[in-house]
Amino acid sequence: MLRYILKRLLIAVPLIFGVLTLTFFIIRLAPGDPAAFFIQPGISPNVAEQIRQQYGLNDPLPVQYVKWLGNVLHGDFGRSFSRAQQPVIEVIAEALPVTMTIAVLTLIANFAFGIIIGVISAVRQNSFLDRFLTVTALFFYSMPEFWLALMMIILFALKWPLFPVSGLNEIGAESYGAFGFVMDRIWHLALPVTVLSINGSAGIARYVRGSMLEVIRQDYVRTARAKGLSERVVILKHALRNALLPVVTLMGSSLPFIFSGALFIEVIFAFPGMGRVTVEAIFARDYPLIIANTFVSGTMIVFGNLLADVLYAVVDPRIKL
Amino acid sequence: MMKSNKRRFRFAPLLLLLLLASATLLTACSKSGGKAGALSGAARDSTLVIGMLGDADYLNPVIGASLTSSEITGLIYPGLLQGEFDTKTGLLNYLALEKRLRPSSGNSDEKSPKAALARTWTMSPDHRSITYILRSDAKWADGQPITSRDFKFAYRLYGNPVIASPRQQFLSELVGADKGVVDFDKAIETPDDTTLIFHFYKPVPEHLALFHTSLTPLPEHLWKNVKPQEFRESKLNQQPVGAGPYRLAAWNKQQSLVLSSSASCNLPKPGNIKRIIYRIIPDYTVRLAQLQTGDVDVVENVKPEDFAAVQKANPNVDIKTIGLRVYDYVGWQNIDGEYYNSTGKARPHPLFGDPAVRRALTLAIDRQSIIDGYLGDYGVIAKTDISPSLKWAYDDSIKPYGFDQAQAVKLLEQAGWLPGPDGIRQKSGKRFSFSLYTNAGNARRNYACVIIQQNLRQIGIDCKIEIQESNVFFQNLQERKLGAWMAGWAIGLEIDPLDVWGSDLKKSRFNFPGFINPRIDQLCELAKNKMRTEEARPYWIEYQKILHEEQPITFLYWIRETQGFSKRIQGAKLNISGTYYNIDDWTLKPSIAP
Repeated sequence: MLRYILKRLLIAVPLIFGVLTLTFFIIRLAPGDPAAFFIQPGISPNVAEQIRQQYGLNDPLPVQYVKWLGNVLHGDFGRSFSRAQQPVIEVIAEALPVTMTIAVLTLIANFAFGIIIGVISAVRQNSFLDRFLTVTALFFYSMPEFWLALMMIILFALKWPLFPVSGLNEIGAESYGAFGFVMDRIWHLALPVTVLSINGSAGIARYVRGSMLEVIRQDYVRTARAKGLSERVVILKHALRNALLPVVTLMGSSLPFIFSGALFIEVIFAFPGMGRVTVEAIFARDYPLIIANTFVSGTMIVFGNLLADVLYAVVDPRIKL
Repeated sequence: MMKSNKRRFRFAPLLLLLLLASATLLTACSKSGGKAGALSGAARDSTLVIGMLGDADYLNPVIGASLTSSEITGLIYPGLLQGEFDTKTGLLNYLALEKRLRPSSGNSDEKSPKAALARTWTMSPDHRSITYILRSDAKWADGQPITSRDFKFAYRLYGNPVIASPRQQFLSELVGADKGVVDFDKAIETPDDTTLIFHFYKPVPEHLALFHTSLTPLPEHLWKNVKPQEFRESKLNQQPVGAGPYRLAAWNKQQSLVLSSSASCNLPKPGNIKRIIYRIIPDYTVRLAQLQTGDVDVVENVKPEDFAAVQKANPNVDIKTIGLRVYDYVGWQNIDGEYYNSTGKARPHPLFGDPAVRRALTLAIDRQSIIDGYLGDYGVIAKTDISPSLKWAYDDSIKPYGFDQAQAVKLLEQAGWLPGPDGIRQKSGKRFSFSLYTNAGNARRNYACVIIQQNLRQIGIDCKIEIQESNVFFQNLQERKLGAWMAGWAIGLEIDPLDVWGSDLKKSRFNFPGFINPRIDQLCELAKNKMRTEEARPYWIEYQKILHEEQPITFLYWIRETQGFSKRIQGAKLNISGTYYNIDDWTLKPSIAP
C-alpha cells in the first residue's frame, strides 16, 4: 500500500503543476486587466502603466512564465495585486482558519445527522417516518444555499433575534475572556453551519439509506437476527458498518471543501474565508492570488481522492491496492 | 406480527435525545448571546458602526486607492487646507486658519478652519507660485512637529513613478512637469519649518493651485528609510501615524477596522464620537438587515425599493440623500469603431453617426417611466453631464427632450430610416438592429435596458440586450468594440470633462463614444484658464447647449444616492463631496436618558 501511495503522490506532482501552468495562461488570456481599477477619471493616465510595470505584466508571456516558475519553485507565490501587496501565502493563511472552522463543524454535523437520518429511514423503510424524512431531506437538498441562508437570517436574526445577522464575532468580543470569546464565536457560527449542514446531511442521508437498505437484506444480517441478537446490535454493529463503506468515499471527496470554502455562506455572513478570497481575486484579476488558490484547492482534490481510495482499502479488507 | 414489532429498534429515545441536545444548545447559545450580545449601553453610546462593502487597502494618502481608504485616511491624516463645499452654489472653497478663498456665503455646510495646517497663503501676482505659512503648533500623533519638509518629502513620493501614486496628476503644473519630470528642488522650497513655497511652470488659477498643492503630507521621520520599491509593501501602510481627529486602533482584515478619537489632536479637535467601527459586510441584503437590527448605524446606497420595509422594521432608521453626482447613460458609438481601430481614422458610425438619429433615440426612450419605476423621487432626468448640484455652472434654461415617439419617427424618416418588410427600419439595405451591452450585477441598469428595448421596438428599431462581466465589459468599451451600451459616471467636484469628450481620441481615454467636436476642446481650455471659477460659466453654458444638441450619448437620469442612517446620529451634514463630510462633528444620542 505504501508503494501505491508513493506512486500516486509522484503522479500528483506533474498533475498539479500542469493545472497551475494551465491556470497561468488561461487567466492571462482572459479579457480584463489587473490595472483596470486605475483607469478612471481623476487618476493620471500614467498610473495604470506604472502599475503594470510593477506587476511585471509588460513582459512577453513566456518571460512572465519563466519568472513565475522560478519563484514558485522557490516556494514564492508572489504578492497579491488587489490586497495591498500582501504576500498571497499570508492572505491564504488568514482565510484558511476561518474556512476550516466552518467546514469541519459542517462536516461533523453533515455526517452525524446524515447517518442518523439515513439509518432511521432505511430501517423504517416505507413507513410514515421514512416518507417524512425522505421528503424533508429532498426538500432541503434542492434548496439553493444562499436563499436558505437569507431565509434563516430573516427568521432567526430579524423576526426572532436569537442569532446575530453576520460576522465572526461581536464587536468588542476580545474583552469577553477566552470562554466568552469562544461562546460568542459558536453563537455566530450557529446559523451558517446549520444552513450548510441541512443541505449536506440531506444528501448524505440519501446515500446511507440506499446502502443500508441493500445491506439489511443480506443473509448475514438475517443470520445475526436468527442468533437472537438484539435489534440494536444487529443494526448498529453488523449492518451499519458495512453500509458505511460508500460513505467513506464521500469523506475523502469532502476534503477540498474544507479548504476551498463555501462562497455564498461566506459572502452572506461576512466571513473572510477562502471562498471570498477566491472570487474577489477572480473579479479583480489578481493573478498571483488566483494561482495560489488553484494550488490549494487542486492539491486538496488530489489528496482527497487519494485519501478516499486509501480509506476504502483500510475499511474493506477485500480491496487490495 | 407481535414478534416483529417487539424486535423493532426503538428510535423514539434517540430522537428525543437529539431534540433535547439541540434545544439545550439553542438556549445556551441564545443565552450567551443575550448576555454578551451587543456592547454594553455606555460603550454603544460612544461607538458608531458603519457597514462597508469592502475593506480599505493602504491607509496611506500617497497610494490609497479605494473609497474606504480615502474616507479613513482623511480622518487619520491632517490636511494643508480645509475643503468646504458650498451647497448654495456648488462651489468648492478652501480654508486656512486665517484666510478663505471665498468669503462665507451663509452656507449651512461650513467647516471649521482649525483643521488646516496652513495659517495663510499668498499667491504671487503672476500666479506662478504660492507661499504657505504653516502653523507651528501642529504635531504628528507621535509628538514630532509637522514641518514644511514633511510636505516636500511627501510630494517627492507622489511624483515617484516607481510608487505609482494615483494622485500624481496633482503635480502636473509644478516646475519641470512640462518637460516630463518635476524638478522638486526648484518646484518646492522650504526656507524654514513653517514656510512652504510651490512654483509652477505656468500661471495657475488660485483655486486650482490650492486644490493641487493640498495633498496630504507624510511624516518624514518615519518614512525616510523606506525604499520606493518597497513602499507599497511597507508595514507602515497598516500602522498609519497621522495628526487628524482619529487614529487607527485595530484592523482585522476583511472584518472590521476600528478608529478611536485622538485625544491629542488640535486639527481641529479630537473626534466627538469616541470610537468608529467600520464593519465589512459584502452582501447588500445583510448590510440592510444589520441596519434594521441596529447593529450598524450607517449603510450607504440603500435602494429606494427597500426604504419602506427598513423603516417599518426599524422606525429608528432615517434615509438621507446627498446631491446629484452619479448618472446613467446609453452610449452610442459615434464613429465606426472597427474602421477606427484598423486605420486610426474616424468616420461616422453606420447607425449612430448622425446627431439627428441620436436625438431621435433620446426622444424615443421614456426616461420618466424608468425613473418612476425604479428610482421614484430619487431620480432626475439628465440633460448633460453638468450636475444640477453644481448650480454655478448648470444651465437651467435647457428643456430636456420629452418622450415623443412621433417626433422620433419623423427624425428617423428624414434621415432615411424607413420601415422594412419585417417591421424593422432600414436604410439602403441595412437594418436598424444592434446589441445594447451592459455590465452584470446592476439591477437598475437591467431594468432600464428592458424599458429601452421596448421603447425602441415601438418605433421599429431592434435591440438585443447583452450582459457582460464587468471587466470584460470595460475592456470592450475601451477597445471600441461595443456599438451601444449602458453605463454610468460619477462626476468630480471640479468640472474637467476633457478626458470624456476631448477630440483627440488617443488622449481622451474615456471618450468611449468617439465624440468629436473641436469647440468642446476650446471651451474646456477657455474655462480652465479663467482665474476665477465662476467666470467660466458662459463657457459651460455653451458646452451644455452643444451636448444637448449633439446627444453624443443619451443622458438618462441623475441618481440621488440614498444613505441609511440611524436616528441616534445627530449633526450629520451630507453633500456631494461625501456622506461623511463632517463625521468628526457627529454626536450620538444616548440610548437612555441619564
